[in-house]
Amino acid sequence: MDNDKQQFYYDDVVTRLVQFSLIWAVIAMSAGIYIAAELIWPALDFGQFWLSFGRLRPLHTNGIIFGFGISALMATAFYSVQRTCHVPLFLPKLAWFCCYAWQVCILLGGLSLLAGWTSTKEYAELEWPFDIAITVIWVCFGVVFFGTIANRKIKPIYISNWFYGGLIIVIAMLHIVNNLALPVSIDKSYSLFAGAQDAVVQWWYGHNAVGFLLTGGFLGMMYYFLPKQAGQPIWSYRLSVVAFWAFTYSYIWAGPHHLHYTAIPDWVQSLAMVMSLILLAPSWATMINGIMTVSKSSEKLRDNPSLKFIVLSLAFYGLATFEGPMMAIKSVNIVSHFTDWTVGHVHSGALGWNAMITYGTFYFLVPRLVGGTLYSVRLANIHFWLALSGAILYILAMWAAGVSQGLLWLSIDELGQLSYTFNEIMASMTPYYGLRLVAGLLFFSGTVLMTFNLFMTIKGRQTVKVNPPVVLASREATA
Amino acid sequence: MLFKLLFYPGKVFNELSIEDKHAITTVPRFLIFVLLLPPLFSWLGASQFGWRLGGSEPVFLDTTGLVVFGFFYFSILAVGFFGTVYISRWMATTYEAKTSQSLHFSLFTVVCAPLVIASAAHLFPDVFFNVLILIPALIWSITLLYRGLPVVLGISSERGMLMSSALVGWLLVAAVSLLGICVGLWINGAAYVLGV
Repeated sequence: MDNDKQQFYYDDVVTRLVQFSLIWAVIAMSAGIYIAAELIWPALDFGQFWLSFGRLRPLHTNGIIFGFGISALMATAFYSVQRTCHVPLFLPKLAWFCCYAWQVCILLGGLSLLAGWTSTKEYAELEWPFDIAITVIWVCFGVVFFGTIANRKIKPIYISNWFYGGLIIVIAMLHIVNNLALPVSIDKSYSLFAGAQDAVVQWWYGHNAVGFLLTGGFLGMMYYFLPKQAGQPIWSYRLSVVAFWAFTYSYIWAGPHHLHYTAIPDWVQSLAMVMSLILLAPSWATMINGIMTVSKSSEKLRDNPSLKFIVLSLAFYGLATFEGPMMAIKSVNIVSHFTDWTVGHVHSGALGWNAMITYGTFYFLVPRLVGGTLYSVRLANIHFWLALSGAILYILAMWAAGVSQGLLWLSIDELGQLSYTFNEIMASMTPYYGLRLVAGLLFFSGTVLMTFNLFMTIKGRQTVKVNPPVVLASREATA
Repeated sequence: MLFKLLFYPGKVFNELSIEDKHAITTVPRFLIFVLLLPPLFSWLGASQFGWRLGGSEPVFLDTTGLVVFGFFYFSILAVGFFGTVYISRWMATTYEAKTSQSLHFSLFTVVCAPLVIASAAHLFPDVFFNVLILIPALIWSITLLYRGLPVVLGISSERGMLMSSALVGWLLVAAVSLLGICVGLWINGAAYVLGV
């Protein structure tokens, strides 16, 4: 085996994945800014199909989730699994294959979306050739990750690996089932599911992608990098394990809350609502665990801008995981669904939780990977305030827009007719969309600063070689 | 003191930090403005101009509706303010900050001051106009929280940053809970004509 001879951790691939993640963040957020502007000035599509909202929007979401998000998750999973298992990566060439093949797949997939290839399933728009490619790469990711765990030198499997492992297994299951389809040409296929069943399968996938990728995966990141940065063990390890299993059990049932008041059976909707409410418990258990871990390490904040991002990300995680179950309550959902409140909710998670925890992790990780110091702490601090103000402004603008929309959609006159037309309501949203554009620009400018800062940190440096530590005999894994 | 509260909050924070008797007894008195002014402005605006949600016609509430709305607004502010003070004192033990009730009251009175002044926007109750005025005020209030908390409660700025972020988390959750409660009330027939 390669890794038996290797004396150092394989961190080159981690550095490269971080770089790709940063590039995808800039590309995909640019697309987000552009479509936010298109909602105010529709003529910005210049009559070009590939510049239309319908094609750029999936590029934005897929670029963020699969480009920025998964590249970051692969990077941090590869970094942390080596250190928590005290062995180099299993099959490192396969890890390099995952790194580059994933980027090629997302790049070509993004271009195919611009060309109009789409399965029409939200967050699963890529057509069948890409679905197959994603499956192959994902299995390789799983082989590297679980192979490293199988080779581990210490007996316990640290909690972050449980979350990363959950991410790999559940996303594989969701992706394969939801994308089962009959191809009719290279760019078109039809789902094996139809009607209400298709909707249930799609939101079983969609919501659990949020759950096991955007929540579970990033919790893996949090559980490794937060204690590392705080210089403290996790506040309650037992709570983290209980929260993992409770989270895994409850999340999988919650998907149909995206389909309230539709043709799916009423009991399925109610079950999803109840399971969504139960989900609050493990989510907040994790948040409390994180906050308590960091609460005794305030002195680390003095010269460590990255910890600020992680602390704030926990606050937004608390918000998003409270807001989600609340919006799953049917009497709230009747107003919030089909409004910009949902968009605000998604972004409180995406900007406040996913992006912030990733930024905090990258600011910690990159200087260590290349054995240097951060190029500019001042830029990182400016980035923090840009990110905070951008995220808050975005959420508040969308809350106001969403609640107004919800009330206006449902408003009826004395004859029982709808009081306002769709066009009237959308026209009244323009000022909020202006605020959202400003918020997006603030957040995006912070991301550009970080990208510059981290690339300058890496510039001219090589990834440092780190030896696995000697493992005490009492902690060694037995075959 | 009101002038100082609005334009020199740093000085007020410093006076509170040394537990200056005048500041500690005077600042909490402004709580009455925090609780009463926003509902009063809202009452006046809603009765004179009606709420503009974005549709062409403003929504006018009858007198009963105005009373219910005003009372609800006042109650939410009171519960929110006292709840935040309670949560803050509870968190203070974790972050080894001062737990004196009057200090926490005073701190949040200063933090709320920009929002109270900005609530004058309720006199013209157009949702977007209010959002436009209240968001900068909110950002200023959050800045005051991050600046003032470590000074008033006698902890390092780093620890203050942690505690302020935890409080921002609580405030965001409280805000979204308020949205949920409002929607629940609307759906159950309060104040607005909805086809549900």
